Amino acid sequence: MSALFRRRANFVFRLVLLAVAVAGAGVLGGLMIYARVPAGNRQFEEVVQPVQFDHRHHVADDAIDCRYCHQGVERGASAGIPSTALCMNCHAQIWNKSPKLEPVRESYFTGKPIPWVRVHQVPDFVYFNHAIHVNKGVGCETCHGRVDKMGAVYQFAPLTMGWCIDCHRDPAPNLRPQEAITAMGWTPDRPGLGQELHEKYKVHSRTSCTTCHR
Amino acid sequence: MKLPIYGQSTDGREHWRSLSEREQRRAHPSEFPAGAAEAPEGFSRRGFLQVLGASVALAGLEACRPPRDTIHPYVRSPEREVVPGAALHYATAAEWGAEAVGLLVTTYEGRPTKVEGNPDHPASLGASGTFEQALLLDLYDPRRLQGFVRGGQPLAFRSTLRALSDLAASHRGDGGARLRFLVRESGSPLLADLRRRIQARYPRATFHVHESLSSDEVREGTRIAFGRPMEPRLRLEGARVILALDHDFLGLGAERLRLAREYAARRTPGPGAEMNRLYAAEAHLSTTGAVADHRIRMRSSEVLSFARAVAHRLAEKHGLAALAGCGQKPAVRIREAEAVADDLARVGAEALVTAGPRQPAAVHAVAAAVNAALGSAGRTVEYRPAPPGPTGPASLRALADAVGAGQVDTLVVTARNPVYAAPADVGLGELLARVPNSLYLALREDETSQRCSFVLAASHPFESWGDARAADGQVTICQPLLSPLFESISEVELLASFLDEGDRGGHRVLQDLWRSRSAAPDFDVRWERWLARGLVPDTAVAPEVPAVRAGEVAAAARSAPAPREGLEASFVADPKLLDGRFAENAWMQELPDPITKMTWDNAALLSPATAKRLGLESGQRVELRLRGRKVEAPLWIAPGHADDTVTLPLGYGRTVAGPTGTHVGFDAGRLRAAEAPWIDGGLALAPVGRRKHAFACTQEHFSMEGRDLALTFDRGDLAGEKHRLDELRGPLPSLLGQVDYQGQMKWGMAIDLTRCIGCSACTIACQAENNIPVVGKEQVARSREMHWIRVDRYFSGDPENPEVVAQPLACVQCERAPCEYVCPVNATVHSDEGLNEMIYNRCVGTRYCSNNCPYKVRRFNFFEYHRPKSATEKMLMNPDVTVRSRGVMEKCTYCVQRIERHRIAARIAGQEIRDGQIQTACQQACPSQAIRFGNLNDPGAQVTAWHGDERRYDLLHELGTRPRTAYLVRVRNPNPELAHG
Repeated sequence: MSALFRRRANFVFRLVLLAVAVAGAGVLGGLMIYARVPAGNRQFEEVVQPVQFDHRHHVADDAIDCRYCHQGVERGASAGIPSTALCMNCHAQIWNKSPKLEPVRESYFTGKPIPWVRVHQVPDFVYFNHAIHVNKGVGCETCHGRVDKMGAVYQFAPLTMGWCIDCHRDPAPNLRPQEAITAMGWTPDRPGLGQELHEKYKVHSRTSCTTCHR
Repeated sequence: MKLPIYGQSTDGREHWRSLSEREQRRAHPSEFPAGAAEAPEGFSRRGFLQVLGASVALAGLEACRPPRDTIHPYVRSPEREVVPGAALHYATAAEWGAEAVGLLVTTYEGRPTKVEGNPDHPASLGASGTFEQALLLDLYDPRRLQGFVRGGQPLAFRSTLRALSDLAASHRGDGGARLRFLVRESGSPLLADLRRRIQARYPRATFHVHESLSSDEVREGTRIAFGRPMEPRLRLEGARVILALDHDFLGLGAERLRLAREYAARRTPGPGAEMNRLYAAEAHLSTTGAVADHRIRMRSSEVLSFARAVAHRLAEKHGLAALAGCGQKPAVRIREAEAVADDLARVGAEALVTAGPRQPAAVHAVAAAVNAALGSAGRTVEYRPAPPGPTGPASLRALADAVGAGQVDTLVVTARNPVYAAPADVGLGELLARVPNSLYLALREDETSQRCSFVLAASHPFESWGDARAADGQVTICQPLLSPLFESISEVELLASFLDEGDRGGHRVLQDLWRSRSAAPDFDVRWERWLARGLVPDTAVAPEVPAVRAGEVAAAARSAPAPREGLEASFVADPKLLDGRFAENAWMQELPDPITKMTWDNAALLSPATAKRLGLESGQRVELRLRGRKVEAPLWIAPGHADDTVTLPLGYGRTVAGPTGTHVGFDAGRLRAAEAPWIDGGLALAPVGRRKHAFACTQEHFSMEGRDLALTFDRGDLAGEKHRLDELRGPLPSLLGQVDYQGQMKWGMAIDLTRCIGCSACTIACQAENNIPVVGKEQVARSREMHWIRVDRYFSGDPENPEVVAQPLACVQCERAPCEYVCPVNATVHSDEGLNEMIYNRCVGTRYCSNNCPYKVRRFNFFEYHRPKSATEKMLMNPDVTVRSRGVMEKCTYCVQRIERHRIAARIAGQEIRDGQIQTACQQACPSQAIRFGNLNDPGAQVTAWHGDERRYDLLHELGTRPRTAYLVRVRNPNPELAHG
């Protein structure tokens, strides 16, 4: 009786086994890479908002400080989105007939909030606190990029845990003086400034898990 | 090294947790209950929901990228600035009976998430108990009543108000002769004022007041003693010897938090500090009896003769002639009565005799006479005038008679579920159907709402304006924490609608009253200050020292009716559900009873000797018969219970509640008679069937292999036992390197077992703070309860009258944590400050850590216990803590979210974290301040002092885990004349 399988079958079987293993590792590795590249973590993806709000105009042209609108940033965990009433502080007077501002006026007069689309989203088990970062010399630009050059705001940083940890391990290069905390395009005027600020602000960046995960 | 094992106890006492464990001690006990590792069989309703929840969660895997959220900011920012994610605290109060406990409620973006005690309030002093914490769960219950229904037809709010004013107007003609109110007992000045104004408008209308845990006997007893009803208020800071006559003052009542604080403050053994001594005379083990130095076991009906025996000895031996009339030479417990009397006389004015509200008036009269004779009246107990009129069964009886006689056209009920709470022979349920207009204000559908023609959804106390009085008279303005979640009306608004003043809202009605009482021109400024502080200044009522009428007391003591013959039935308020008001509260249902450790159930409790005599076993179902009424109940043999008496906890067996509370346990109230609502004789027990009742009892869960862990010493023995404690602390040789925690925070905790009263406030506080789910009875039976901090209760000694010690146990944050070595995914690791961190998002659910934890403090989410929640239930969650899903291990983290919150605030302000600034949830709630938390690197910190205390020891020290939580041994202060044996 001849053998059921030829000798080549062994080779093919091993090849298939190898292919399955490679494919499995490839899928796993691929998913891990996917989560770390812009296509997966949504970096640089411009987000369409219900109101055509242009940061270029408000930040660069009008030179409005970030904190005028994002009021919680120095005191709270979240920077906060301004209330409709805050928009109307100015827009009751200027551009008060503009059709682009119709959703804002509608919200103001109907009492229904504007459903802004979230751009920067960390998972629910991550407890990021804006106040401590801003107060210890991490500028807006460090994580959010040149908002003054963004028509539609996009996520500038990868927001991966590796990216967080890199700075927590060595925060000095990312520190700036309090006066320049909201400045856009700021660069240190001398080498070693980050290290000075690190001591001046008593920066104590921790890497224990519960710093962010509770 | 010597490992403490069974029979070789470290403190020389034999500890056991249940009678069956005591019997099978030699046989190795199993670590987990049977079936702990198995999935539930079949699909129960709850199980189905959980599995459904899991499949919904799994379905979410389809998309690798989460959808973009939307953010909805305010249209107009609120008046007071709300920073998203920042907590605000508002003062308010909770009322138990006529007395209030001041609270501070934490809110995030306008939704309350946590209840704490108000440190400025005299009844709270910053502490909060299980009941106060649990109020929050009621607030968010999606099954609360919504809207208004009259004769089966829903009514809008405006139509309801119109219907109410029409109804009110129809009674104007005859001055309200056929209008009656059944209101709950309350000390609220506003409700009293509304009642006065309604009474002025309808002079012939009648108010009945009902409180199922009434103080009628206390008031009658003080009326006998002083000539007018008085409210005693205990003051334990000056009391050196306390005799509690069936009085669970540490477990029940609005004053329990303050009393626990004052009691514990005098429990520190040491040079120069005299410990107080507590005697408890009672039938079933209560929280107070469990901490007592001497528990004198007796039937509830024998308490009077014991009190008279004490009075007799005081009169005979110690020359207190005023007590000669009410004293009586005892026939039994002579030695105990004499020792107690001698001890009371030794400290004179620093003694205290107090009687519980279940005891008949004669006991209260005798207690008042003894306190007056000892000179302690005014020092350890003070009296204030009590409101007149009955509030207990007598009040319902009067109403029932009037309804039966057809004298009532309109009955307005704001009392809490009177149909269920009424003794069986009052028959209020059937009578309500005869009232043409029966209005009922209810938070939830219940036995009473089924029988009323006009049911109005009540606003939760946290949704309505009001005021309340503490036991010393101080008033708190209760402010709402949020607008009513559902369409509802508050008690104040309902009563105000009978005044024909239009819809003014609770806020206006309340403010008008206080504006009229405060002559100050800057009322609005003061008002804000009252709200902020939670107290209205200068509202305390001065205590009085009334003279005792010895003759009346003696006559009452002598003429007290003899107890009925036969087996005694003793009805008690359940330590968790009280009179059933928390039956629909899942936190309270799942909380283990402080003594029996029973969850989701009640049982008829009896002593081992009585059970033996009657040939009955634990778990057996019996038919209880009393005065021709019967009810079926399971039995539970309770160590320390008095013989020939059966304790029947009220509050269970609800027939109309929600899915949580309906048909849980048995309704002991169906046996009660109005003339003997608490203690009755002639009970008969008849076994029913052979099937044993399945209790979900946690007392043998999470066994630490039987090692002795809660150490107890008598005060006199403490110095001689130091060498034993030295074996349980200090450094151990180790192969592992030493981690240096110097130069930073080193978090640690210490728990003083001498101060702990085992009340379980810590368990519920932790549950509320850390988003801990409720799992249900069948899961608890499999040892899957999720409480991060459990209170172990150990008995020691004679099972007929054992000593009890409670030991709260959460993760002890080992410096060399066994769990960390075995986690394959690094989901539990050590922080630089020594916390044993649990990282939920890394956990893959191997449960190795739990297997390797010697303390058994890790909890596993076997199912999606946070099943899909309704919108209101989601509001309860603490936004600072991750909500864990299925397959994730969790455990105590020393409230790391609070540490980080305070750290961030302190670092932004450029300050150091002060000692005492960070309180864990359990520590903040603890009424007796038995828990301390802080930085062990701070030599001045309170926790460091306890870590260095001579009573300190480490749990399972010999394992070398170096726990950060230290324990202080329990020290008892027994009377040498009543030495053991």
